[in-house]
Formats: sequence, C-alpha cells, structure tokens
Amino acid sequence: MVNKMVTNISAKMPTGLVQSKKEKMEETAYPEDTIGTPLLEGSKMSMRNVDVFYGDKQAIFNVNVDVGQNEVIAMIGPSGCGKSTFLRSINRMNDTVESCRVTGQLTLDGEDIYSAQMDPVALRARVGMVFQKPNPFPKTIYDNVAYGPRLHGLASRRAELDEIVEISLTRAGLWAEAKDRLDQPGTGLSGGQQQRLCIARAIAISPEVILMDEPCSALDPIATAKIEELIAELSQNYTIAIVTHSMQQAARVSHRTAYFHLGRLVEVNETEKVFTAPEHQLTEAYITGRFG
Amino acid sequence: MADSNLSHAERIQSSLAKRYRAEKHFKFYGAAAIAFGLLCVVLLFTDIISKGYKAFGQTYIQLEVTYDASTLGITDVNDSQQIVLADFHGVVKTALKSRFVDVSGRKAKRDLYGLISHGAGYTLRDRLVANPKLLNQTETLWLVADDDIDTYYKSIDSDAGAFVGRMSEQRQGWVDQLAQSDDVKMRLNRNFFTQGDSREPELAGIRGAAMGSLFTLIITIALSFPIGVAAAVYLEEFAPQNRWTDLIEVNINNLAAVPSIIFGLLGLAIFINFFHVPRSVPVVGGLVLTLMTLPTIIISSRAAIKAVPPSIRDAAIGVGASPMQVVLHHVLPLAMPGMLTGAIIGMAQALGETAPLLMIGMVAFIVDIPGGFTDPSTVLPVQIFLWADSPERAFMEKTSAAIMVLLAFLIFMNTLAVILRKRLERRW
Repeated sequence: MVNKMVTNISAKMPTGLVQSKKEKMEETAYPEDTIGTPLLEGSKMSMRNVDVFYGDKQAIFNVNVDVGQNEVIAMIGPSGCGKSTFLRSINRMNDTVESCRVTGQLTLDGEDIYSAQMDPVALRARVGMVFQKPNPFPKTIYDNVAYGPRLHGLASRRAELDEIVEISLTRAGLWAEAKDRLDQPGTGLSGGQQQRLCIARAIAISPEVILMDEPCSALDPIATAKIEELIAELSQNYTIAIVTHSMQQAARVSHRTAYFHLGRLVEVNETEKVFTAPEHQLTEAYITGRFG
Repeated sequence: MADSNLSHAERIQSSLAKRYRAEKHFKFYGAAAIAFGLLCVVLLFTDIISKGYKAFGQTYIQLEVTYDASTLGITDVNDSQQIVLADFHGVVKTALKSRFVDVSGRKAKRDLYGLISHGAGYTLRDRLVANPKLLNQTETLWLVADDDIDTYYKSIDSDAGAFVGRMSEQRQGWVDQLAQSDDVKMRLNRNFFTQGDSREPELAGIRGAAMGSLFTLIITIALSFPIGVAAAVYLEEFAPQNRWTDLIEVNINNLAAVPSIIFGLLGLAIFINFFHVPRSVPVVGGLVLTLMTLPTIIISSRAAIKAVPPSIRDAAIGVGASPMQVVLHHVLPLAMPGMLTGAIIGMAQALGETAPLLMIGMVAFIVDIPGGFTDPSTVLPVQIFLWADSPERAFMEKTSAAIMVLLAFLIFMNTLAVILRKRLERRW
C-alpha cells in the first residue's frame, strides 16, 4: 500500500513539470537580433558579434551590446545561460581557461580588448572584478586593499598607500568597521564585510569598469542591501556590469537590463521597461517566474 | 514482502540497530589496527633501546701509568717525529705488568696486555703532548678497556650470567680482581659520539656517519626541493595540457615506484663514470638521493598547489597580477605547508636509504670524520649495515645505538617540519 502511493507520487510530480518547461522553451524562437536598445552612442565598452566556445561547445552566440559611461548594466537569465561566461570574457579572465576561445570584437574606449597590443594584466587593472564568493586573500585587511596598488606601483610612499587604502575602504563602506583592525586578517570578517573588502580591493587600483559576478549570492539580505547601496554610489565614478540571479536586485541597482537565454542575448532595455513591459516572450516568461 | 505489514517507522527502527552495530564494529577494527601498530612500535623501541643503551657506556680500567722516557723511546716531547713513533702501548703494558706481577708465559702476557684497548695509547699521547712535564712522571688514569672486557663487564650482573665469549678464565679472574678493588667502572662513552668508524668496537663512533648523513641530506634538500617545486609549479600553472605533459606526469608517477637501487646504478653510470664525480662522497650521494626524492616532492607539491582554492587565483588575476605574481604571492605561500610535508617525507626516505648508496661506494670503511661535501664518508643506515655485519659481539649494541641515533635524527627532522608547517599555515 505505502509503496504504491510513494511510486505514484514520484512518477507524477517532478517529470510533469520539467516536461512542460521544456516544451515552453522549444516553442519560443530566438529573435534574429537582440530586441530593445543594446547599442548606444558613445559607449564605454562595446561588444560585437561575440561568440564564446569551450572546446567544441559554444556557450555564447553572437552577442552585440554596448555599455555606457557610468552606467550600471545588469545581466540576468536562467542558470547556465552564459552571463558569467560573457562577463569573464570582458576582462579576459577566460584566458586562464585553456579550452576557452572568444571571437568577435570587444572594445574598451575603442581599444580592442583581444588585440595583440592589449596586455591582459594592464586590461585587468582597468577592468576590475568582484566575484560570487567573497575571496579575500589570507592576509591582513590592509594588505588586501594595498595588494593591487603595490602590484602596479601606484603609491611611492607609505603615506600615499595609506591614503589609497583609506579612500578605497571608505568608498566600499567598510572604513568605519575596519579602521581599528587593519592589521587583522581579512578572512576574519563576516561574509558581507568580506565582500565589501573585495570591492575595496577592486576599486583601490581605480579601474574604469567594475565587473560583478553575482556579488550578493552568498550574502544575507542586510549585507545585500549594503552592497546594493554601494553599487548605486559607485556608479557615479565607475561603469558597472553586474550579473545577478535576483531580479529584484537588477531592478533596484541597474539602469539597463540584459536578458540572456541559453547563450543568446534576447533583450536589452531600460530596466524599468524590462520589468514592466518586456518585449520578448522569453523575457516575460523569466521575469514572471515561469522558469529560472 | 515478508515484513510488509511493518510500518515505515518500525522498519527504520529495526534497521537502525543494524547500522549502529556496523558502526561499532568499524570503530573497533580501527582502534584495533591502531593498537596493533602502536604495539609494534613499542616492541621495536624496547628491543632497540634495551639492546643499545649499553653502548652509551664504556668500561674503563684504572691504572698507574709512568711516562717512562726509555720505554717510550723519546728524548724530546716537542719532536713530533718522535711522538709519532713512541711506544705508548708499551707504557700501558708496563703498567699492567706492575699491576699483575705474577703473570708469566707468552700467552698469558698477551692476554693481559689485551685488557686495555689500543686506543689507550692515543689517550696517553694526547696527554703527554698537552703537558710535556709529565715525561718520566707517574699518574693514575682511567683507560678504555678492550671490547671483550667491556662486553663481559656489562653482562656481569645479568640474569643469564656473564657473557664470556673468547675470554679465558684467567682474564675473567683479572677483571674480577680489578672490580673488587674498584679499578673498573662504567663511564659515558664519549668515543661513540666523537669518533668515526673503527675496527675496534670500543673505539668506533657514530660521528663520521652522522656527519656524512648531514652533508648528504644538505645536498639532497638543496637540490631536490627547488627543482621539485619548480617542476610542480610549471606542470600545474604554466604547462599546456597535452599528450606530452600527460606522458611526463605518468613517468613521474612511475619514477616514484622505481626500486631505489636502480637510482644507485644510474648515479654510478652517470655521475661517477661519465661526469667523474669522486666516489664515496656526500656530493654524489646527495645527487643520487635527489633523483630518488624528486618524484615524491613533485607529486606532493602538485597536490598542494592543486589544493589552493581557485577563488584566490581569480582574486589575484582580477586585480591585475601577472601569472608569475599569482604564483609567487599567493599559490606558493598557500601551498608551502603541503610542499614542506612532501619534502620532509622525501628527506626521511633519503635519510634511511641504503641500497643506492652501496652502488656509489658510500659503503667504504672510513675512519676520518668528513669535514665537507667532498670528503669520503658513509651515512647512518650504511653504518648500521656495516656494524650489523661485524663479527665482534660488542658491535651488536653499537648497531642498536646507531639505530637510536638514526631515529633521533628522524624525529628531529619531523619535529622541525611540524613546527615549520604550523608557522606557515594560514587560517581561512
């Protein structure tokens, strides 16, 4: 008796759901070109016909998008849609993955990111990155922030370095909490503080663009709120591209939102428009929670 | 189903007891395995220590010695030529003769003179050279007894009775006589710690082998650690993943399993026969042991590098560190404790290695204590092998004592490794 009931339930429940989802996706065709306003006049960064491959597998299909000066662009989409891959190809973090290959044209201030003249190390000093999991170095808070400036020789004297550290920590909203414990390990901070430390570390070398790969996914709501406030402040000085799983977050922090689906950039629009009147069926399905 | 009338909870309940029983059994087997291991270690240590501790003591005989110029055959103490040729053992013989006046006959006399080690002559010489005024004077001295006497005297109180061996009854009588007048006693065996090897057990010491081991290991660590770490860093961080690197990886793993004597043959063929490095020296020993320990160090270093979280690499690359800076600033410091563990395991292996060193002539009988990397020398395990092979009874306890020194060396190295690791380890 019991056995029977259990098998009945398991046969019915999940598979049915999965099937209907799949059918839904297959029904909807991808648009020829990205819908909305992917391209801008006088952009900070522009990406044209970008394809990314892992070995034989193509992860990104023909993406065209611009990012404006001091703009916050959010990239959303279901898991595995390639938004992180796309983000990591902007500062050539994908170079470290041996099987990864990027084609198309990506430019920063009109300079080709993938040209032979562009040094990846110099590029990453201009395009900073904050990662999903807070990853402070197992060093002191001070050394964490000072690491980048020291690498690039941005400070010639100790006092200068102190100043950079203070400004960076202040901008990252961590100065008040950390100023008395600069000599303590960064790994001893709470999760949210660690993530702000990572942001401070990224902005210590004054990058032009900051890439954020789901920066709040490992944080609690209060820490998340702080980071979001921070993003709003940082957007006055920096261009920010943020990948997020939370649509609310995208709605709160970004000016424009890009919706990725299975490696294709489906729609880019003003954030408000994406969340109130999405143009494409897939975008609508995603933001209304029919898959995610 | 037989028990289909049981409820879910009841079935879980009945399986629980079985699961806990299995866990209990498993715990017991684990504890038993550890207990067995500990028992073996305790047995080993008791056996070695009970056999070897006596080697740290040495029997001395008190004699009244006269530095008689005519017996010695010298006129001027400051003439080194005369001192070298002087018959100091003759002085000892005279002293023994005057202690046991009633001994006669060639054989008996030879037995009598054999009470004191030949090494006693060197003690007298050193004293006379240090203080020339002693010439023609008399002093009472404790002199090193011969190894037979030593073995006999050490076992005199044992439950199994004294070990007699080649000792004649007459000699036993003399020793007993000396013992009665308190002219025999045990003293700390300083020779054991300060001398090199000798054919005379009472004069043989471990210092030559210990220094040989030290020099050999210095060469080994100085070569194998940097080379091994560099190879591991290159293979993990920079080398492309292709058929060549796969081939290299497979071969490194194979090398780790190659019998060590093969490395000895390799060293003989390459270092000695081709490059003409002198044989029996710590340099060539260190080179051979480097070949042997490299695979161990490379494998453990690669494992340590692999264990560095990729998020740290990402973080460093993200702020614009070059690949070399990522390695130097982050990967190496974080992997260092693991690499050190591998290096110490390799070093411990190298310290205990005998076979490859036999092939390159480090098995030679060497009396002088090596003073550098190119002096002929032997190493601790080879010394143990040599002494275990010697017929004299007294070498048995020396063998055990040498094993104790080797173990002490090992424990010291491992302690050092633990301390280093503790200091370098970082909390996450």
